Amino acid sequence: MKNTIKYLTPVILVIALTGIISGTNQDVRQPISFNHKLHTEEVGLACVDCHSNVEKHSRALIPNIETCGDCHDDAEDENREKAKVGSYVSRNEKIPWIQIHVVPDHAYFSHRRHVTLAKIECQTCHGEVSEMERPFIIPFVELEMSWCINCHEKSKVVNDCNSCHR
Amino acid sequence: MARWGMVIDLNKCTGCAECVTACKVENNVAVVGKDESEMGRTMLWMDILTHYEGEYPNTKVRYLPRPCLQCDNPPCTKVCPVRATYLDPEGIVAQIFPQCIGCRYCMAACPYTVKSFNWYEPHWPQEMAAALNPDVSARPAGVVEKCTFCVHRLQKAKEQADSENRELQDNEYIPACAEDCPTQAISFGDLDSPHSEVSELIRSPRIFTLLEELGTEPKVYYLSEIE
Ligand code: HEC
Ligand code: HEC
Ligand code: HEC
Ligand code: HEC
Ligand code: HEC
Repeated sequence: MKNTIKYLTPVILVIALTGIISGTNQDVRQPISFNHKLHTEEVGLACVDCHSNVEKHSRALIPNIETCGDCHDDAEDENREKAKVGSYVSRNEKIPWIQIHVVPDHAYFSHRRHVTLAKIECQTCHGEVSEMERPFIIPFVELEMSWCINCHEKSKVVNDCNSCHR
Repeated sequence: MARWGMVIDLNKCTGCAECVTACKVENNVAVVGKDESEMGRTMLWMDILTHYEGEYPNTKVRYLPRPCLQCDNPPCTKVCPVRATYLDPEGIVAQIFPQCIGCRYCMAACPYTVKSFNWYEPHWPQEMAAALNPDVSARPAGVVEKCTFCVHRLQKAKEQADSENRELQDNEYIPACAEDCPTQAISFGDLDSPHSEVSELIRSPRIFTLLEELGTEPKVYYLSEIE
């Protein structure tokens, strides 16, 4: 009996974890299984090659067919995920990415401010993206106001309501 | 630190209402229907008050553009139970929309009636909905709103100046009404900077503020008409 439990526990854990992962997966499923690790480490692209506005504007931008089309246009590719990209590209149709990190319209967040001026690494706010083989399902941190305020307090940045709200 | 203020020259104002339109578009101010409007639910952050003088045919019409007067001693902030409205460090009477509980005390306290209440979920005619300004939130029903001196423009202007490693320059931050006025009747800037246009204008003998006797100390000044 003891042994059965010993051997079964990992199995149960795996089943439970798969349940959790696939459960959250269903909440938000990206149209294509995008692989950050492959595109940054193997293809050698930099974050800003795809998220082209991240240094100069408030929005980073999620790249779409204009960017992907440079390298993928085969809708018949035997790799199903690549074929999907090719198909969007050849149909000239936008890939309907779902934005995972979102602040509401009444708050002002700017990437230029944090990436270029404050020189904060992407990882601080988004995690080890270059190790991710699957697309984003949930944000790396809950983007609550206290998260912004706490870092601002530590970094001695203004926390006046009117500097963020609009 | 700057102290933002505005001077409106009534001698230059023609009452064309370009400022009203510019403001409404810039700030995603909701459009209400005719019936709601008749109930006094029109939403305007910048309004033009009209005043008729004399007997026909010797009449004269006077116009007075009226944004939030951004008082240095604001009656509205004192009655807010949740500090959704307060005087910010640069003299702007802030209105933090998600903090507002819709009690409307501030509306009752404002002697200039500059605040509007969102009776309805925001709504725009189809043609306008696509043209909403992404830099400004759409206020939900149940929230009080008013002119913010286009504070979203200040947020962006500061970031631009910081990214070029310099101070904010004169006229780099101006609200939409001042920018769009075709007769340049509206000046805007730092009242504490000795050489800004506004600080020079407020030394004019024509200067006055609305309901001065209340002690609200508005930072929106007017230059009287030259008769
Ligand atoms: C600079 C070229 C380049 C760009 C730009 C690019 N990719 Fe790729 N992509 C590659 C290469 C190289 C591979 C891997 C080798 C292969 O199978 O062709 C790959 C593989 C893939 C795969 C298959 C991944 C897997 O795990 O099998 C998908 C899906 C994909 N890319 C999606 C995208 C999308 C979506 C975009 C646009 C946002 C994009 N790629 C932009 C070069 C690129
Ligand atoms: C200080 C924290 C922080 C840093 C540093 C940061 N981000 Fe973000 N990121 C956010 C927040 C907050 C949002 C949600 C923004 C919104 O809703 O407008 C976001 C959204 C995004 C988005 C999706 C929406 C969009 O277009 O803005 C992308 C893509 C992104 N970040 C990429 C990056 C990259 C790449 C870097 C590094 C070069 C980076 N971020 C650095 C906090 C950060
Ligand atoms: C080949 C183009 C490409 C490159 C290079 C790339 N990304 Fe992305 N990124 C995407 C695509 C496509 C998505 C949307 C799918 C997803 O969520 O994975 C995305 C999503 C994201 C998001 C989530 C946005 C959201 O929905 O909130 C973040 C954060 C992000 N990337 C950060 C980075 C960082 C950091 C790097 C550099 C290490 C990087 N990306 C490099 C294409 C790229
Ligand atoms: C990891 C730390 C960190 C986090 C998290 C963070 N910030 Fe910041 N933020 C900074 C730093 C550092 C600066 C100062 C940048 C500079 O030097 O210009 C800053 C500056 C700002 C400014 C400009 C303030 C000014 O000077 O007027 C705004 C607005 C802002 N952040 C909004 C946000 C919002 C909204 C969030 C949450 C969604 C957030 N920040 C999260 C570190 C952070
Ligand atoms: C550093 C930027 C920042 C500052 C400073 C800030 N806020 Fe926020 N606030 C945010 C962000 C981002 C959100 C959205 C959080 C979310 O989606 O959960 C938010 C959300 C809110 C909400 C909605 C409820 C909630 O907590 O999510 C209220 C109310 C609010 N803020 C009030 C205030 C007040 C009052 C002040 C001044 C005392 C203030 N905020 C200062 C960034 C800020």
